[in-house]
Amino acid sequence: MANLLWLQGGACSGNTMSFLNAEEPSACDLVTDFGINVLWHPSLGMELGDNLQQMLKDCISGSIKLDIFVFEGTVVNAPNGTGEWNRFAGRPMKEWVRELSNVADIVVAIGDCATWGGIPATAPNPSDSEGLQFLKRDHGGFLGKDFKAKIGLPVINIPGCPAHPDWVTQILVAVATGHAGDLAIDEFQRPKTFFQSFTQTGCTRNMHFAYKVSATEFGQRRGCLFYDLGCRGPMTHSPCNRILWNRQSSKTRAGMPCLGCTEPEFPFFDLAPGTVFKTQTVMGVPKDLPAGVDKKGYIKLTAAAKTAAPAWAEEDIFTV
Amino acid sequence: MTDSSIKTSQAANDESLRDQLRALLKDGLETEVEPRAYTHEQVLDIVARLQQLEESNLEEKLKTAGFTLTPYRHEDDEQACETCMYYQLHRKFCELPELMLPAEPQWSCRLWRI
Ligand code: SF4
Ligand code: SF4
Repeated sequence: MANLLWLQGGACSGNTMSFLNAEEPSACDLVTDFGINVLWHPSLGMELGDNLQQMLKDCISGSIKLDIFVFEGTVVNAPNGTGEWNRFAGRPMKEWVRELSNVADIVVAIGDCATWGGIPATAPNPSDSEGLQFLKRDHGGFLGKDFKAKIGLPVINIPGCPAHPDWVTQILVAVATGHAGDLAIDEFQRPKTFFQSFTQTGCTRNMHFAYKVSATEFGQRRGCLFYDLGCRGPMTHSPCNRILWNRQSSKTRAGMPCLGCTEPEFPFFDLAPGTVFKTQTVMGVPKDLPAGVDKKGYIKLTAAAKTAAPAWAEEDIFTV
Repeated sequence: MTDSSIKTSQAANDESLRDQLRALLKDGLETEVEPRAYTHEQVLDIVARLQQLEESNLEEKLKTAGFTLTPYRHEDDEQACETCMYYQLHRKFCELPELMLPAEPQWSCRLWRI
């Protein structure tokens, strides 16, 4: 039996909503099949008021063993570093987060806010928010770059806005069943099993990407969303087109550009007007190129592919 | 109408419109070839001007977009319609929503992007 505690900082509850929709395995499966004991969760916890406060204190003192501490949302530091803007169970949430992280065997950050600050930490970051071990790309965050949970691992980051439900439950099963040490993680502490491939991996528009046929409207079935509509699929690490959403589809399959929400810089360009859903270019060439491709290579590849594209690539091949 | 007859009549319309555009450019229509739309603001500005035009106002469309009959060159790069992401090579057609014009692969305009 592994005790799990889930708290929420500066957040919209999107990751909780996502988690409750998990299917493989579901939130119930965690309890019935994988031996996870949910001590408390903002939407599921039974304890209130003094009882909850006592439970948190018991976790910190060790009279309740805390195996997995899950945090959703940013650590709010405002005003003036006090964290008073986000109080919970009688004190600033950040104080609970520090003490609980120090006693937990494993700490898991769920969603962009908890991993790197996400939308709340977008400039000018009025709530002085940060992620558990990162602030955007900068290693450190609230717990500091040297932080290691009791079993010797740094915070395990499961980003996304929100994270896909099955990324959350599958990682929780892995850590609850003693496999945390087997998880290979990348430089941003994301499990590689989910975050090594790209959003583009498995996208149904790949052939239009290859032949440089552009979609010019949302929802259009023909065309790739990279060239005009700002799709970040070729440079975003996520399995959105391998582990489908609702087991059905993905943003890009449905004609909506990938926003790059699993990357530390999300939301990109600080949401400046004209930067969302629009490919940013410099002298006619996209500012952000597919991972590993340089400008010269991109121009050569694109020109060659465009001129070699077959006629069918320009037509809508999806007839109803 | 079958798909192929639709395509044939579309091709004929495109061809006649392309001839008109070519004639305008060959007759020396002066277009705004520069400054190129190299920044986001410049693109927005030109697109906004195109949006004000009547769909049938071909001359102004060519002028505003800065059409040329040959590719524009910048350093080592050649900015031809045929490599522009708005261009449909097989139909020989510019699909930029504000232009929607038949164009030759070797033509160019300042909204070119790859
Ligand atoms: S729509 Fe996006 S993810 Fe899909 S092929 Fe195009 S760039 Fe890649
Ligand atoms: S937008 Fe592209 S395809 Fe259209 S006319 Fe300009 S260069 Fe040619």
